[in-house]
Amino acid sequence: MIVMDRKKYKQLRVVVTLFVGAIVALAVIGNSYPLSIAGVLTGIVFMALVRVKAKIRTDEREATIQEKAARMTYAIFAPVIGIAAFLLLLPSKSGISVFSKGEWLYVESLGMVFAYLTLFLIAIYAISYHFLNRKYGGGGDEE
Amino acid sequence: MKNKLKVYRAMHNLTQEQLADQVGVSRQTVIAIESDKYLPSLGLAFKIARLFKVKVEDIFTYEGEENEN
Repeated sequence: MIVMDRKKYKQLRVVVTLFVGAIVALAVIGNSYPLSIAGVLTGIVFMALVRVKAKIRTDEREATIQEKAARMTYAIFAPVIGIAAFLLLLPSKSGISVFSKGEWLYVESLGMVFAYLTLFLIAIYAISYHFLNRKYGGGGDEE
Repeated sequence: MKNKLKVYRAMHNLTQEQLADQVGVSRQTVIAIESDKYLPSLGLAFKIARLFKVKVEDIFTYEGEENEN
């Protein structure tokens, strides 16, 4: 098995992305849908093979940084998008005439999208927390 | 947490790059550990100690509560 560090893996991913991008661009110019599909599929299969055949060595400090960045992103993004959803939905529910005429329909729709996005985000967090908690020994009844 | 990684590395004539390769991390991680900016995992601490053929506590010293990682 080939051992590859994350930096090399990222470089390879960039090369494959560029290759797929070039193929898709050529396909668009040539108006050929099969070529674009073939290009994308080749890229996906190649990257899948790399992940299976090569052992990608992740630096533990980088993993810690990624964890912290993900936690910070969630801590910022979830409340911001939740509050935005609340603020966008509030006027349409307040019964003010201008809103009841449907002039703010897009704002309300955007609010709904944000609200569902917030719920989706919280659901993903809760599900992944549940599974990771089980994986790392939490939630067991044995003593 | 304090460590004597730099001292042990110098004693074994290893560069940061060589040490990083031997324990399977990046050079940046070795730099961060040496400058007390990053606390290594238990596994990495044992790998480093095994490489220098000493106990973990010979390299890493716990000095009570502080702002860790």
